[in-house]
Amino acid sequence: MRTLRVWFQKRGPIRYISHLDLMRTMTRAIRRSGIPLWYTEGFNPHPYMTFALPLSLGMESLCESMDIRIEDDTGEAQILSALQSAMPAGIEITAVKVPVLDPKFIAFAAFDVVFEDVRDSDDFYDKANALLHRDSLVVQKLGKKGHKKVMKDVDLLEHLQSFSLTKDGELLRLQLVLPAGSTTNVNPALLCDELLKLTDGALYRITRTALYTKDMELFA
Amino acid sequence: MFNKEIEKILPLVQKPARYTGGELNSIIKDKNAVKLRYAFCFPDSYEIGMSHLGIKILYDCANARDDVWCERVFAPWHDMEALMRERNLPLYALESGDPIKEFDLIGFTLMYELCYTNVLNMLDLAGLPIRAADRTDLTPIVIGGGACVCNAEPMAEFFDLLCLGEGEEVFDEVFDLLETAKAEGWSKKKFLQAAAQIEGIYVPALYDVTYHNDGTVAAVTPHDGAPEKVKKLVISDLDRVRYPEKFIVPFIEVVHDRVTHEIMRGCIRGCRFCQAGFLYRPIREKSPDTINDQCKRLCDVTGYDEISLSSLSTSDYTQLETLLDKLLEWTIPEKINIALPSLRVDNFSDSLMEKLNKVRRSGLTFAPEAGTQRLRDAINKNVTEEEVLRTSRKAFAGGWTAVKLYFMLGLPTETLDDVAGIADLGQLVVNEFYRNPDKPKGKGVTVSISVASFVPKPFTPFQWEPQDTREMLLEKQAHLLSNIHTKKINASFHKVDISFLEGVFARGDRRLSKVIEYAWAHGCKFDGWDDSFHFDTWMESFSACGVDPLFYTSRRRSFDEVLPWDHLDYGIRKEFLIREAKKAYESKTTPHCRIHCAGCGADRLNGGKCDAHA
Repeated sequence: MRTLRVWFQKRGPIRYISHLDLMRTMTRAIRRSGIPLWYTEGFNPHPYMTFALPLSLGMESLCESMDIRIEDDTGEAQILSALQSAMPAGIEITAVKVPVLDPKFIAFAAFDVVFEDVRDSDDFYDKANALLHRDSLVVQKLGKKGHKKVMKDVDLLEHLQSFSLTKDGELLRLQLVLPAGSTTNVNPALLCDELLKLTDGALYRITRTALYTKDMELFA
Repeated sequence: MFNKEIEKILPLVQKPARYTGGELNSIIKDKNAVKLRYAFCFPDSYEIGMSHLGIKILYDCANARDDVWCERVFAPWHDMEALMRERNLPLYALESGDPIKEFDLIGFTLMYELCYTNVLNMLDLAGLPIRAADRTDLTPIVIGGGACVCNAEPMAEFFDLLCLGEGEEVFDEVFDLLETAKAEGWSKKKFLQAAAQIEGIYVPALYDVTYHNDGTVAAVTPHDGAPEKVKKLVISDLDRVRYPEKFIVPFIEVVHDRVTHEIMRGCIRGCRFCQAGFLYRPIREKSPDTINDQCKRLCDVTGYDEISLSSLSTSDYTQLETLLDKLLEWTIPEKINIALPSLRVDNFSDSLMEKLNKVRRSGLTFAPEAGTQRLRDAINKNVTEEEVLRTSRKAFAGGWTAVKLYFMLGLPTETLDDVAGIADLGQLVVNEFYRNPDKPKGKGVTVSISVASFVPKPFTPFQWEPQDTREMLLEKQAHLLSNIHTKKINASFHKVDISFLEGVFARGDRRLSKVIEYAWAHGCKFDGWDDSFHFDTWMESFSACGVDPLFYTSRRRSFDEVLPWDHLDYGIRKEFLIREAKKAYESKTTPHCRIHCAGCGADRLNGGKCDAHA
């Protein structure tokens, strides 16, 4: 039995499925692929499967990974092609490798956001730029206090590690890095929702592009 | 796929994956390469619709044709609908994202009466007039199918066509005819007249209904060449009929999320309250080899880890143990669970129990339906108390600690003694658990009693019976609760208001169309959902339209009354139903079809063939 890290992209309509749905989708895809998955022992055997960092519903990603356990020594290339052939539209397997880092070392995530259908893109660019250069931007987010769910204030700009805002014709593009992982996690949608208030009728698409450790080393 | 305007509202709704399509095994075609576009609508939520076996079968059958592209449409939930209306986004099909208004054929599955307002709502969301007479162009043609079609008279004004019985073959003829009509530029009227000639197709507009002064139907008269009686079409050989090789695998969790396999059609039992038991006759079984092969293939292409063997009474399938042996051979190594819903208590053998023990254990459910032997005899539920107890004993010995029992209140001839009998039977099952010497230590027993309200349905021996009023049902529920003396039994009841409305529509006529329209216009939809059900609005709708709902539910009909569904032929002879009704009054049973053919007449639909007396 050995553990492998399966890297995949999640793009297109499938971005609207939740983490729980993704787990079910992957379990079924692995069953269809016929790869020799290792099952837990016990009363109700289930396949071992663990995801590095859940992705919010609605986001696309280029850097998802899940760890699975295989019963025999089937080669990585063979597993990759068996998995790919069983995936639903929108999931692209990019690599199958031996894990290097434990997911607990994930500290930051990079995102690529595209704003479309912006009515006046010059105006939006200026306003967005001004907002991102403010000293602070406090919003409320749902957090936990013990077991209770409470609204908490969070200063998005304080957590924003870096960003770049560019304009390409009518499209506005924002690249940013935010804390991610088990200790601090800031959802980029909080910031994008604030930016969306500066215009109307627009929409944004968020893509998670990379995960980093606290030393900005790529998660592998 | 969906357009950008839909994309803008998806982040604002719950479970957006209901509206995106793109699931594994969904079918995408080139819309310019097909002759007909067919929107297959399910008038309930995505989670309910995607659990429905009929939709999977017919989606597959329609898409097997190169010239037809069949797509799925579900009723958007309240939040999505509000946003679609606010932004003028019309109802679209999941596969292409195109508005269904542009489609040639729009089909609805009418699986139960409480989905009727959703049909109107979906047509309206699509941007179409809800009444058939107001849709004057040839396309889209709106067609309905499913169990309620056996009396869809309350919906007759909204549908162009209704498909009686089994759609696998009827639809081919409808597709062919509509293609010809489009190519030759027919009027809608010409198409409807031609469609009425297809066996199994009912065109409500070609029938005039007249009424007596007392409100009962005087006559249903066909015109423009429509047949006097519309006959249900049945599939004669289930082994040869197309069964999907692929199921769409939903991303989000749906109610029945597994491989479902229909192992037989029809039922030998003849329980007098059960509409399905009469509507789906004659009995036809699928062979174990066919089922086994199809299940294997479906598991391979879906990745599901559960198979449900479905039918009206699974333990009556003659080769159940042979089938289980074949299935278990590969499902055990592949860790696939087999579920057997609809088992009966009277033919639950030790070896079957042993085989069930090899698969992952789920709950055990039995349906005695009535609390006393007298009433069980009257409804022809040929199950004895001893059989219920013996099966419970076996189940408890096999390690089960929870049993669910289904009952009904409001059955014809029912007395308060029969009601108390439900509690008594529950108590006997509890006692049976404690009598078991090997009962698991430290574990109690739970007996769940689920109590529905009986609703008389067309094409059953009880189609003439009055339905208990809401007040009577509530009194019986209270009486039942007062007779339960242990915490080991928990009872749950159906909402009597919902049962009442179901009863009105089940045996309703065309005069109810305006009530449904009024209720829908005043906000009724998703009536089958407790949270969405507005009984006051419904009662207001009846009174605003001058229709007395009790006329449909509380009245005893005479055997010679013309019933609103008399022009539909489901094979079952009326004389047979009358004979059965009279036996019910005397609490006399009718043996099941394998012991003795009761002469229901359904075999006429299948060239005199019935697997019950093969």
